[in-house]
Amino acid sequence: MKMQLLGTALLSAAMAVGVAGQVQADDFPSKPLTLVVGWGAGGSTDIQARVLANVLEEQLGQPVNVVNQPGAGGGVALSRLAVSDDEGYTFVFGTSMTITFGPLSTETNYQLDDFRYVAGVTLGQSAIVTGEDRPFGDTWDGLIEYAKENPGTSYATQTALDRMIIEYIAQQEGLDLRIVPTSGGAGMAPLILSGDVDFAYSGGTHSGYADSGEMPVLLGLAEDRLAAYPDAPTLQEAGYDINAAEIRMAMVPKDTPDAHVERLAEALEVATQDERFIEITEERILMPVTWMPEDEVTQTLDDQVAGYKALLEELGGLPQDEE
Amino acid sequence: MIRTNFWSGLGTALLAVVLLAWLIPTYGGGGFAIGMQPQRLATLGAWLILGCSITLALISAVALLRRSAPFIVMPNVGQLWHMLWPFLYVLGFIVLVDRFPLTWVAPLLIGGLLLILGERRWYLLLPVAVVPALGLYVLTAHLMRIGVV
Amino acid sequence: MIGFDAIFTSFSAAFHYQSITVILGGVLLGYIVGVIPGLNRSVAIAIAIPLTFYMSAYAAIAFLIGLSKGTAAGSAVSAILLNTPGEPSSAATCLDGYPMASAGKPRKALKVGLLASVIGDLLATLLLIVVAIPFAAVALKFGPYELAAILIFALVFIAGMAGGSFLKGLAAGGMGVILGTVGLDPETGAMRLTFGYAELMEGVPILPLVIGTLALSEMFVQLDEYRRNKDAAVIKLGNSADDDLSYGEFKGTLPTILKSTGIGAFVGALPGLGPSVGAFMAYGVAKRSAKDPDSFGKGNPNGIAAAEAADNAVIPASYIPLFGLGIPGSVSAALLVGAFMIHGIQVGPLMLRDHPEMLFTIFSGMIVASLLMLAVGWYGLRIFAKVTSVPPHIVISVVIFLCLAGIQVQGYGTFGLIVVFGFAIFGYFLKKLDYSFVTFLVAFIVTPMLEMNLRQSIILSGGEISILLDRPIALVFVVITVLMVLHLGWSSYRRWMQVRRQVPQV
Repeated sequence: MKMQLLGTALLSAAMAVGVAGQVQADDFPSKPLTLVVGWGAGGSTDIQARVLANVLEEQLGQPVNVVNQPGAGGGVALSRLAVSDDEGYTFVFGTSMTITFGPLSTETNYQLDDFRYVAGVTLGQSAIVTGEDRPFGDTWDGLIEYAKENPGTSYATQTALDRMIIEYIAQQEGLDLRIVPTSGGAGMAPLILSGDVDFAYSGGTHSGYADSGEMPVLLGLAEDRLAAYPDAPTLQEAGYDINAAEIRMAMVPKDTPDAHVERLAEALEVATQDERFIEITEERILMPVTWMPEDEVTQTLDDQVAGYKALLEELGGLPQDEE
Repeated sequence: MIRTNFWSGLGTALLAVVLLAWLIPTYGGGGFAIGMQPQRLATLGAWLILGCSITLALISAVALLRRSAPFIVMPNVGQLWHMLWPFLYVLGFIVLVDRFPLTWVAPLLIGGLLLILGERRWYLLLPVAVVPALGLYVLTAHLMRIGVV
Repeated sequence: MIGFDAIFTSFSAAFHYQSITVILGGVLLGYIVGVIPGLNRSVAIAIAIPLTFYMSAYAAIAFLIGLSKGTAAGSAVSAILLNTPGEPSSAATCLDGYPMASAGKPRKALKVGLLASVIGDLLATLLLIVVAIPFAAVALKFGPYELAAILIFALVFIAGMAGGSFLKGLAAGGMGVILGTVGLDPETGAMRLTFGYAELMEGVPILPLVIGTLALSEMFVQLDEYRRNKDAAVIKLGNSADDDLSYGEFKGTLPTILKSTGIGAFVGALPGLGPSVGAFMAYGVAKRSAKDPDSFGKGNPNGIAAAEAADNAVIPASYIPLFGLGIPGSVSAALLVGAFMIHGIQVGPLMLRDHPEMLFTIFSGMIVASLLMLAVGWYGLRIFAKVTSVPPHIVISVVIFLCLAGIQVQGYGTFGLIVVFGFAIFGYFLKKLDYSFVTFLVAFIVTPMLEMNLRQSIILSGGEISILLDRPIALVFVVITVLMVLHLGWSSYRRWMQVRRQVPQV
């Protein structure tokens, strides 16, 4: 009895493995898909991904399961995706920063060209923010002037990317900044609200303070002006030639068959017109929904990586070379 | 206890030396920092271990010498095996789980261990081995919908 | 300002049978998930989020409040009975809960834990209601300087009370510090002791570490003992006569519960410390102020009461900065932010202006959830206390499976399994050689926060120590810490002299 049961278990396991290898390209998807989120359950990426999964499920006619693989700012999920041979049945929903700046700032086992970027569906709203009642007011020019006169003006950084951008700006403007590390919006907000730090990077926390005005935006880090702060200039408008726009997108390994990528992209395009997805993204998470097809996303990411590399060289070489 | 203290003190001191002399300087990370060197806290921790473990080893050594107790008592080989096999058993299953979903392997894992521990009543063996795996299946495949793990 | 009517309406809404049903559902789901060793709040959330999509905003939030309380109480059950904390913050509950349950008093241990957690939770909720808005501003007075000072204080304090072998305790603490620094350096971005594993970039994952050192290693220790003396059951049967909580005993733990609630509420109100720090700190205070500190770690009900009351008081208190300032102070607070987001409500100071009824609905929901938790826990423990009467070989086999399953379910993958296994070996030696895993765990949990806050303080102050004169709160904690170090040094020197005098007689 027992042996028989074991036999069945092993057999079914073997069959599951066998079937996965023989799936035909044309009837994609013929089994449940897995949407991997590189962040913990309950975060904004996760919430968005779960709604997206619901919509995709209806489009693709197969269940789309959401799996969280948190760690390394989305990097753990990507390093697992890089070695996946699941032909598009497993795909990652994440942010462009993980793939553009991640491999430059840390050692990763994946590169930009290890993946195909099925489509971009949301534009990030990251920004450089400050608090209320600061001596320099709430404008970027005011801050620069203040920082020039006051060496030791403090800035709170969260990611390697925003640190590089601020170091570049400091170099351009001749500022002497105190750059303080912090982790996440929950770490940044107290520093800004209490006035311990003069200005800071914010991934999206500031959107929640748009009405109360407690966290004015100095500079938008997206390509266009931020939806909630139309008065703040963008990086380019302020005179810095950096494209740090963040895109939330779906990624698959590079050897995924064309037919599978196309099918996923179709479903994603419908999702960007779906009311539920638009509502959760624009009204709750406060980020604009967009539609960027594969070639456009890939082009943007290529440009960004080239831009970051140039910036790093201007700042004195890639971080790895320093050691 | 004094003898094990002596040897564990010596062992941790050795570990601390390896950390201080090799692991932390090589893999501890570098770069220019205004706040704190990346290796600062780890090095502090390693010195703390070194200091404490050497003191522990010395105190125990003195105590052993005073009582003229032997420093080395060979452990019984059978005892060592008793200590070792559960680790090997679990490690073996971790290797298996790397290949196959835990849900399918679980009945083997639980059932096998029960058999080794001397459980022979099949009416107990079977449900204890199968029910947890079934529970895991329902949890992952239906409730959390993350697929079979 | 909100009128009495609105408060009354919100409470009567919370006591309506529909909302009670929803909250009860959340409590039950959370409790069941929490009771299963290795599964915790994030599993419960993963199950719950799809469910809440179909609920109204009010029902969804009530459900999640119930869920959050349920997992906290449930994870205490598995901590006490099986030494397997579902949440890392229940690790402090294991310290006395498990020895007490193994000594044949599982029901007493569970009752102490349950009562302490409900009281801690209720009092902290009341505090939240009374002071949420005005008090939030005070939390901002605690910047990096103050937090760094408090964390150093907590670390020294807990290391000092490790008892037993002081040297071995400190050595274990040193190991915790080293492991706590693993990962991406927050300032230079350098990889520290990650050996190229992306999984280690954000540090050694805490859940596999805790499950490995506490639970899986315990199973190995028990296997060892089980093989050695097969006939004697390792986990004793739980039906002895004194296995119930008398009123007198409960009264005895009450001062500890109240004190620990205060500590938990204080820690919770400061964004960024979290329930683990609160629970261990309360445990330390309870042990320090006890007449019989040596009985801690061996099944002292005050140890359970302290850990549980503080652990549960942290959570409502962590909503103070959430509702006052919009800063989520704990995982559970972040979870609520997510739920509000789904239902279109922006959490923060504007909530009182824009959605006052929602705010008071939450408060009343929290109180109802606490009371329901008491009921569920009280009747649940009759069932769960029986776990200890299951033969040990079955418990051992199943718990080993659950340890691995918890890791797989939460998506840590093979890497997580290897981490669990590695720390099981580590924990096995800690236990066999009598090194304090309390100091190890505390040092591991505190180090990353301490490092971040110390760094921020040093950079912001430009390395000038005189900044402390401008920050009186930080200064007070620094002075207390220095005094404590002196006291500890003096008392251990005296103890050493005593031992030295006795040695020749041995």
